[in-house]
Amino acid sequence: MSQQAAPKNILPRANMAGASLGAVTMVMSFLACLAVGAALLVSISADHWLARATSAMTVQISDTDRMSADDQRVAVMRELAQFPGVTAARPLTSNDMIELLEPWLGTGNVSDDLPLPVLIEITPDAQLQTNAEALDIALRSVAPGARLDTHGRWRETLTQTTTILRIFAGLVLLMVTLATITVLIFAIRAGLMANAEILQVLHQIGAHDRFIAWHFEQHFLRLTFLWAFLGAILAGSLFLALGEVMVELQHYEILIWLVPVPFGFCLLGWIVTRRHVLHSLTNLM
Amino acid sequence: MIRLENISLSYDTKTPILSDVSIHIEAGSFHFVTGNSGAGKTSLLKLIFLAQRPSAGEIFLFGQQVSALKRYELPDIRRRIGVVFQDFRLIDHLDIYQNVTLPLRVAGQREVSYRENARELLDWVGLGERMRALPATLSGGEKQRAAIARAVIARPHLIVADEPTGNVDSEIGDRLLRLLEELNKMGTTVIVATHDQHIWRSFAHPRLHLTHGRLELLK
Repeated sequence: MSQQAAPKNILPRANMAGASLGAVTMVMSFLACLAVGAALLVSISADHWLARATSAMTVQISDTDRMSADDQRVAVMRELAQFPGVTAARPLTSNDMIELLEPWLGTGNVSDDLPLPVLIEITPDAQLQTNAEALDIALRSVAPGARLDTHGRWRETLTQTTTILRIFAGLVLLMVTLATITVLIFAIRAGLMANAEILQVLHQIGAHDRFIAWHFEQHFLRLTFLWAFLGAILAGSLFLALGEVMVELQHYEILIWLVPVPFGFCLLGWIVTRRHVLHSLTNLM
Repeated sequence: MIRLENISLSYDTKTPILSDVSIHIEAGSFHFVTGNSGAGKTSLLKLIFLAQRPSAGEIFLFGQQVSALKRYELPDIRRRIGVVFQDFRLIDHLDIYQNVTLPLRVAGQREVSYRENARELLDWVGLGERMRALPATLSGGEKQRAAIARAVIARPHLIVADEPTGNVDSEIGDRLLRLLEELNKMGTTVIVATHDQHIWRSFAHPRLHLTHGRLELLK
């Protein structure tokens, strides 16, 4: 006589998607976390670069027929000293210029006869950042070869690049979501087919559709949460490892934003399972 | 209790399974449904226990017009019908106790409220000692008794049995029929489909005979 205790789940686990769906969910969660983390890292870095870009302006002075570059430098420094909003102004030395050029031309390749412009670095306050045009006009009036560079074009390019990367991360998230929904629907369909006879019995003994759907929801909720959580842990570990290798990526505060990802997968799994199972059951009598 | 009005059923347009069937089954009665293999016995039962919709006609169960019922109202009607399937339809990974008590679990009852009654019922059908056994370890007769126990545990008003003696020897078949007669004496309406002449000759109950999709009442 067999006296073994049978499992209490009405739907047998053997008839439901298991490790294969779990592995796909883990990969999807990992990719979603990478997309979220990468978007955050790009945003943080871009904000940092933009802050540095807006905290400095440069005046470039070229020789003109009327005034030499040196005379213009003196005039510009005098104007800057009295212009409201200029916190500091410093002419770059020849050594500063060579240091700037060496990454592009190579060490020791900057010859003495290379014509170098005169550059003055300005530290503006917030008010001056919005009044840069007035400063440019004032400088040109005292030094015709002076040009104020607010790094506007570079900032614009950086902002555009950041926006594109955010959109890209959003698209990756969208694709991951669609792929997860598709895989889940296939798994649910397989589960419905494998349990067709049990579902008939359940219907026949008076089970409501919601009762049956809840058994599917329980299974897929448990499965998606466990594996999505594992995917998030793997992604978090990757960001930690990258932070150890590259100082620029040491923004560990982004890890907190990975925590909602497994819960998002749970919510997605629950909604997809409930809707699909209820929809499929309505096709049965 | 059960009224079928001008019921027709066909899976394709050529050959109707049932055509223009009308019957009225009173509460507390016991009927056999007979007919040759393929005569439509199972189809008729499926219509009665709401596993199938008719192609035409109306079914009235417990005074309610089935076609007018909303989907969410069907389970409550089904809970008043106990079905014994020809192939038992016990759930393989659940033990006999869990299989038999499934209708109560589905109805949302707590196990403490039905544990004792379920044990008594299993004793009554002779499966008290085997309640923790899985269906695969049971004989055909034991499975059939488990299926009957599952059909009656929620005290249904109607029991529909499709060839309940089809997979057991005649002695066990007779015992099963006597079990159903006992339930009938307690007020439960019973409908049993069978092709076994020995069964319907041994038990004196009216017979609904199906021939070529037509139904005839034989007393």
